[in-house]
Amino acid sequence: MSHLPHDQESPSTIDRRSFLRAGLGGTLFLGTVSVTAGLSGCATAPAGRLDAADTPVDEGYRFQFLTRDDIELFQALLPAIVGPALMEEPEPRRQAIAGTIERIDQGIVQFGPANQQELRKLFDLLNFGLTRVTVARVWSSWPNATTAEVDAFLERWRTSGIGLLNNGYIALTKISNVAFYGHPQHWHLSGYPGPPPWAMQALPQFNNA
Amino acid sequence: MSLTDRIAKGLEAGWKVTDASTLTDNQTHEADVVIIGTGAGGGTTAEILARAGLSVILVEEGRLYYQKDFKMDELTAYASLYQEGMSRVTKDGAIAILQGRCVGGSTTVNWTSSFRTPEPTLSYWADNFGLENLRPEAMKPWFDGREERHTVSPWLTDPNVNNDILRQGCDKLGYSWNVIPRNVKGCWNLGYCGVGCPTNAKQGALTTTIPGALDNEARLFHGLRADKLVMKQDRIDHLVASAMSADTVTPSGVKVHLKARHFVVAASAIGSPGLLLRSDIPDPHHRIGKRSFIHPVNATVARMPEKVDPFYGAPQSIYSDEFNFREGVDGPAGYKLEVPPLHPAMSSGVVPGHGEEQRDNLKQLPWMQSVIALLRDGFHPDSPGGTVSLRDDGSPVLDYPVTDYLWDGLRRAFHTMAEIQFAAGAEQVRLMHLDSPWFNSWSEARAAIDELPMELHRVRLFTAHQMGGCGMGENPQQSVVNGFGEHHHVSNLSIHDASIFPTSIGANPQLSVYALAARNSTRLAGKLKG
Ligand SMILES: Cc1cc2nc3c(=O)[nH]c(=O)nc-3n(C[C@H](O)[C@H](O)[C@H](O)COP(=O)(O)OP(=O)(O)OC[C@H]3O[C@@H](n4cnc5c(N)ncnc54)[C@H](O)[C@@H]3O)c2cc1C
Repeated sequence: MSHLPHDQESPSTIDRRSFLRAGLGGTLFLGTVSVTAGLSGCATAPAGRLDAADTPVDEGYRFQFLTRDDIELFQALLPAIVGPALMEEPEPRRQAIAGTIERIDQGIVQFGPANQQELRKLFDLLNFGLTRVTVARVWSSWPNATTAEVDAFLERWRTSGIGLLNNGYIALTKISNVAFYGHPQHWHLSGYPGPPPWAMQALPQFNNA
Repeated sequence: MSLTDRIAKGLEAGWKVTDASTLTDNQTHEADVVIIGTGAGGGTTAEILARAGLSVILVEEGRLYYQKDFKMDELTAYASLYQEGMSRVTKDGAIAILQGRCVGGSTTVNWTSSFRTPEPTLSYWADNFGLENLRPEAMKPWFDGREERHTVSPWLTDPNVNNDILRQGCDKLGYSWNVIPRNVKGCWNLGYCGVGCPTNAKQGALTTTIPGALDNEARLFHGLRADKLVMKQDRIDHLVASAMSADTVTPSGVKVHLKARHFVVAASAIGSPGLLLRSDIPDPHHRIGKRSFIHPVNATVARMPEKVDPFYGAPQSIYSDEFNFREGVDGPAGYKLEVPPLHPAMSSGVVPGHGEEQRDNLKQLPWMQSVIALLRDGFHPDSPGGTVSLRDDGSPVLDYPVTDYLWDGLRRAFHTMAEIQFAAGAEQVRLMHLDSPWFNSWSEARAAIDELPMELHRVRLFTAHQMGGCGMGENPQQSVVNGFGEHHHVSNLSIHDASIFPTSIGANPQLSVYALAARNSTRLAGKLKG
């Protein structure tokens, strides 16, 4: 491999790298984690409707794919992925994150079974304590992880020489960025004015709405 | 400007269109011909056969969306109109695959560039795959006919700034460029081709051949997934299909059996080889799924001093073929240069990054310009393409190894694209690559591009052009169908879509699909009527 990882590897993680490279395909590796996660009490069922006391997300929304653990994961990831673009005031910030997590859930539902399974493996790997520590090298549980820790984790996966981890970085940031920046409420952040108003006025599909 | 919606009118007039999610009972239907897939190939086939008086059933896995649904919104469009909700990727996740999944197929979301199959490509096919009667002279009338049917002509309106920058850069450097012919009628120049044309200007399958077929008594089932072609002795007896529920992704449990004299598969590259593999169609030489091509795409973005507004205006209107066939048809990988539209969701998914850096990148969207290179794959022994296989759940997946031959082409393309953007006045340029910073000058970019690792995942790769996997050729040991799309081993099976291309095209493929499907359907109609 001509491109060496930029990140500082601690000795204890060397074995996971050789493990990943030892011909064990990524899928197989992640598949094992998924089974382990299920056995070890990670939430594996879609969260459905959450009550407000439980979590800051909107209790009216019914989650079809994301589990309670996944929701906590994204509550930790989003401040690092889209956080700098978010307003500072706690309430709008909370709402923007909650709305983005809902759109991530809606998006994944349309991905269909095969890609859902891939994401399930990735999320389980991140949620399951042992692999969170060994593969993601995040020591705190997600709700306790600081934005700086999460950012460092994302940087490690982005700059890693292991394609599988790069792929994980792309998957996490892509679904988050698209669900966030693609939403009309956040279009202004990319200077996108939206569809031309004159066209919307002239087109029947907008008048009938 | 005409706002008559052909689909709304047709439905009102009693077209035979069934939304399979509403079916509650298993059922069987019969026709002369069952066509699987309603995109470029399926639509063309349906119209020609129905007009010839044959009874036709069209089967589409995606749903019927039309003007009322096309609201210039990315998130809803990606979720509903694209394969796997826009999350389709190659097996190792390294290449993003953009492909349509709705009535009209990819033509409902494509960017309307309409090129004839390049002559060197057709000649290469004749010389290497025995496809003598696809030589340029023989194909000309079919291109003429399809250009008329889909109202193809060069885009005479000024290009938007995004495209004009490609033109300016080429001019400065003495590279050739030209105006793209588009399949539009009364286009408003809005820029939303990729999310379903809001004005019905796009002359894709949805507004031309599908209505043409339905006007001629064809029946359409949408939200119905073709699972398996079932053989009886050496012929296909019927198709087993699964109705999808209203959520569009889960089968409802209702099965539909479709019987016919002849079956035309037009589920496109990835989809068609997938269906054939699921059906255990005779394949003595293991050709199904092999030689799948994608025109691998890499991209650069530039920050321009003046506003580009890359989200507005006809998405593609200028191209350059300077580097496409320059090294010969089968030399080092050639590439076509074009421009992609940039809307916020797409851009935030394509430009890799997070945090402050990503916010600052996207903040510049109105000043951003992008060039893409489409590599011509499949013309060289070191570019054998990818392989479609089945996942455990029976869904098809494309494994596409990027060979050193292609990496070399991708690196050269990065050079060319950055050079063009700086020549056109870019303040900064960056590659769609995990390790690329913003470069401030062409010399800085040139030096860095030589050093950056050309590796999967680090280089962001895309495809909107899936081809091959059921390649045509005269020799059954090397191909799946003959030069008329007729299966080598099963007499009542034809394939009429981009999966039959024996190499990539070297140009955006829709007109190649339209023309071949028209030619092959005309022959098929004659046979079935005769
Ligand atoms: C975003 C985008 C932009 C593009 N821009 C251009 C452009 O500007 N110019 C150009 O020439 N080309 C462009 N293309 C590509 C072009 O549209 C395709 O090459 C062309 O439509 C391929 O035709 P086809 O008949 O092979 O497949 P498609 O048009 O994709 O149709 C195949 C259909 O089969 C259906 N199907 C698949 N499996 C099944 C199943 N099991 N059961 C039932 N139905 C099934 C699919 O849902 C789909 O609707 C673009 C594509 C995309 C995605």
